[in-house]
Amino acid sequence: MSSLDPQDEFFIGYLGVPPRLKRFLLGFIPILVLGALAFAFILPPLHFDQFNLGKRTKVPEFEGLLVGQPSPHLLVPRTGDVGTVSDFSLYLLSGTGKTSPKPEVLEHVDQWVNLKGTPFHRNHLTVIATKSAEPIEPPASGPTQPDEGSSLGEFSLSGEIVDGKCYPGVMKPGRTKTHRTCAIRCLSGGVPPVFVVHNQAGDQLYFLLSDLDGKAVNDKVLDLVADPVQITGEVIQYADAFVLKADPATYKLL
Amino acid sequence: MGVAYKAVQWNRQKFVYDIILLTTVVFYLFCFEGISLQFSSDLDIKGIWIRAFGSAAFILLHVILSIGPLSRLSPKFLPLLYNRRHMGVTMFILALLHVRDALAWYHDFGNLEPLVSLFVSNTHYTDFIRFPFEALGGVALVILFLMAATSHDFWLTNLTAPVWKALHMGVYLAYGLLVGHVVLGALETNTHPFLTLAVGVGFVWIVGLHLITALREAQKDGAPLFGQPAKPQVDADGYINVGSVNDIPDNRAKIAVIAGERVAIFKYDGQISAISNVCQHQNGPLGEGKIVDGCITCPWHGYQYLPDSGISPPPFTEKIPTFNVKLQGDQILVSAIPNLPGTPVAPAVIDQA
Ligand code: HEM
Ligand code: HEM
Ligand code: FES
Repeated sequence: MSSLDPQDEFFIGYLGVPPRLKRFLLGFIPILVLGALAFAFILPPLHFDQFNLGKRTKVPEFEGLLVGQPSPHLLVPRTGDVGTVSDFSLYLLSGTGKTSPKPEVLEHVDQWVNLKGTPFHRNHLTVIATKSAEPIEPPASGPTQPDEGSSLGEFSLSGEIVDGKCYPGVMKPGRTKTHRTCAIRCLSGGVPPVFVVHNQAGDQLYFLLSDLDGKAVNDKVLDLVADPVQITGEVIQYADAFVLKADPATYKLL
Repeated sequence: MGVAYKAVQWNRQKFVYDIILLTTVVFYLFCFEGISLQFSSDLDIKGIWIRAFGSAAFILLHVILSIGPLSRLSPKFLPLLYNRRHMGVTMFILALLHVRDALAWYHDFGNLEPLVSLFVSNTHYTDFIRFPFEALGGVALVILFLMAATSHDFWLTNLTAPVWKALHMGVYLAYGLLVGHVVLGALETNTHPFLTLAVGVGFVWIVGLHLITALREAQKDGAPLFGQPAKPQVDADGYINVGSVNDIPDNRAKIAVIAGERVAIFKYDGQISAISNVCQHQNGPLGEGKIVDGCITCPWHGYQYLPDSGISPPPFTEKIPTFNVKLQGDQILVSAIPNLPGTPVAPAVIDQA
């Protein structure tokens, strides 16, 4: 004998869903499911800096002058008519992890090398995740050294310190708060820091950072990454890049 | 029920529930990835999955937290509550995948162990804007883990209901921590106003829904939300008047508050019985249940009790407290002091004349 009154519906999990409740659920559950799924379509395009042009490039090796300071980089002679631009392109060097290039690579500093790795670039900033470097003969013709950097004067610039590996495309976004701890890991491991400044025209300007002795600042800026920072110092044009020379103790958190 | 603990007791309802739940989650994750890749083919895939897992877990948490109060407001939502624990476990697994990928991607391949890096990289624990939001997520994950690990009824019985319930209220702490995790992390980077709005609306929805439900419950209990409830009139024999038999539909109950505890007063077959409102299984509200096949049946998962003894029908062995009842005309009088669980009580017979 059942005392179930058809007008007084009561759901018991193991017995099945009564008809009026079933009608309600057939309407409600699809709305709930579609409502949740809608976020999969709405959220991705709203995320910051994830569709930037940072990319991996498919060039497996480079020949150039390996330089150790302020941060490891490779100077690669430009081919063809370079006009007024520098004779050299500057590529930052990191290791394959959140590290500087391996000691076996860095022992060839100030030599010409054939360098193998994976390059990433965003706008005109390039980093090579370096796997190996073999010494080679310097080129027979053309310059073998870029000119001494020329000072462009003293500037006060506001921007963000990023790690020179994630920002060019390894991670998206490779900057700001969500990426902060990763950037700290990268810089303390020896990845070159880069100062990113947006000028009034909306272009990005990139600066290598150097202390007053021309050395790397990595360990002194760990607490300043991913936040707005003001740096006042001498800007030096060096190869096709800029170096910003200042005492890291004077960097100002904004 | 109490006889033996199986890993999971399956039935068709649970099966349909889980199929809908899991298909929705898998669909969400792949849509999230697919849509992200529409915008650029050269994206950081790991990052996409971190965000897909995190957002899926966070959305599901909102659904989980809504089911409780919604089914207090209307029994129509009870089928969603029926298997809520599977939603909880699914949510925990999504959170775990999010954390696994976030640890590997943002903290591994460096000069520290990822777990060490998580806590020492950003140490601005006293700064609001620069707060290490990852730590908030980490604490939330530990709470969710404890809940998922003790989710089986075995733990409910062995930890005792109050301890287990306290553990489950931890979900609100976890929710608060996760709102902090998202506001001080993802929202600081992703400043699109829609995202802030969505998190804000979600928070107001959860808090508002719980407040509305709490107010409604307090009203039903005749107790103000704050301060002392009015003292019920206890007569010389220690009985309390809880109203007329005509207020109770057949085979249903009315809930009265006696000495701070809810009591379910059932009307069935021309008789009245009163038992504790609290189901032995997971504290479901028996007074919102129904008499089915002569047994009080819990609205949450269908545990049953005999109305005149508070004992589950054989082979089950659950016992809940009963209350002595008597009638004065159409007025129901219930003893202010409960009997020991499982004590038989003669039902009060309604005078049909
Ligand atoms: C994993 C196994 C789980 C089981 C078996 C389970 C079951 C339950 C039950 C029966 C209650 C009602 C307790 C009471 O009011 O006395 C409850 C409360 C609750 N549980 Fe779980 N739960 C599980 C996991 C989770 C998880 C992982 C979450 C969230 C992420 C969650 C969210 C909640 C919430 C929000 C409540 C609040 C009380 C309410 O709304 O009625 N549960 N849980
Ligand atoms: C140790 C624990 C955790 C760590 C290290 C962590 C790390 C992160 C990181 C790095 C992000 C930013 C991702 C990005 O935009 O690339 C993030 C976002 C997020 N996390 Fe966590 N998380 C943790 C725990 C949790 C838990 C338990 C949840 C549970 C729901 C959660 C939910 C979210 C959500 C919803 C986002 C925003 C996703 C989006 O931007 O769409 N997190 N988390
Ligand atoms: S709470 Fe699960 S059956 Fe009552």
